Amino acid sequence: MPQIYIMAAITLVIALAFWGGLTYLFSGHQRRYFWLLLLGLPLSAIANLIIKPQAVIAVGQAAHVQPGLGFAAPVWFLAFKVLITPLVEETIKVSPLLLRPAWKMVTSQASALWVGFVLGVSFGLGEAAYIAYAVAQNAEYASLPWYAFTGYLNERLMTCFAHGVLTAVLITAIQRGGRFALLGYLTALSLHLFLNMPVILYQFQWISIEVESISMVVPFIVFAVIFERLRRTAREPGEYEDGNEIVYFQR
Amino acid sequence: MDIQQVGSMRLFIPRPSYGWVWLAFLAVIIIALGIAPALVAGMASVSGRLTLIISIPVAVAFILLAFWFPTMRYELNRAELILRYGPLLTYRIPLDEIRTIRRRNLSLTIWSSIRFPGIALFKVPYGDVGNVKMCATAALNNILLIETEQEKYGLTPADEEEFIAAVRAQMEA
Repeated sequence: MPQIYIMAAITLVIALAFWGGLTYLFSGHQRRYFWLLLLGLPLSAIANLIIKPQAVIAVGQAAHVQPGLGFAAPVWFLAFKVLITPLVEETIKVSPLLLRPAWKMVTSQASALWVGFVLGVSFGLGEAAYIAYAVAQNAEYASLPWYAFTGYLNERLMTCFAHGVLTAVLITAIQRGGRFALLGYLTALSLHLFLNMPVILYQFQWISIEVESISMVVPFIVFAVIFERLRRTAREPGEYEDGNEIVYFQR
Repeated sequence: MDIQQVGSMRLFIPRPSYGWVWLAFLAVIIIALGIAPALVAGMASVSGRLTLIISIPVAVAFILLAFWFPTMRYELNRAELILRYGPLLTYRIPLDEIRTIRRRNLSLTIWSSIRFPGIALFKVPYGDVGNVKMCATAALNNILLIETEQEKYGLTPADEEEFIAAVRAQMEA
């Protein structure tokens, strides 16, 4: 068995504990969002194995761009290949809202935030499994022991959270309705592009793998700030009131 | 014993918790998933060296914090209340600066700090009351919050009633 699968199992357990625990604690100990974790799991594989390659092939054929050109392809086509990931992923991540039970949960800004966050994390978990599968197909990594994949662990933990925030941004905007939905989609696209920037820069060989690994932390911090702002905005009235407070002394 | 008298000073211990287990657990996780793989992989790669440079101090810090867990205490003398945790943390609260003392549950934020189930240390940001200087064996529930003009402090004395009575007696003396 390829050793990446051991690290993938560890990653999935830790990510589920971290981000599932965060959802439980921050949403006021609510468990009703957890079933949504199942919905996003297959979406990364669908996006990466079917939709994205098909879109690239279709656009390439329509514009008569020869396949396999790599960086020799026209600039607009390279830009399209960079943009296709956020375009497809931000769309597919909210597709479970087409299911009535999922959409019915989006009743307020707070519920939109948690539905979005859980769907995004779910997508991230599926993506972690898909990437482990993709790495396992590469013979170059076959000889590596499981503990050589700690970079995968760190990156996937952060990416799960980032997907959660991106989808929360979009679904809270959809809940507001009207032009906010479009604005939310464009914001999620831009943030996704920002998240992918270190990987893109590495693929263009403008930065080393070490810089790429470290620079993942920057989007992670930005996403944490956005998450806290979303939480503050979506706060329910009286959420911070403690009915059991005892004042012992006051002057 | 929850309270001890040392000369004119009274020592209060915090209520029990397994907060030290979390600190030790995190140290083990960092060693198992960060330090051990980097050492096995060798020092040749930049990322391996970077992992060690970052992980070793963090793991050592968690081990030390777990080791000092039994030293958490609250000292009350005529002029001030002192919160201590090992040699690292000492908060002095002048009694005449105390504005309120209340017990309440606090609200989480995502921001990282030394805050785990059963332990909260140093400055911790909370969603409802803002930054609180913590020296407590609970992170969220039933925190005794002491506010001065400048700061907020969070603590968890084992015998809360006796602690409050002692602080009030000193303030009125």
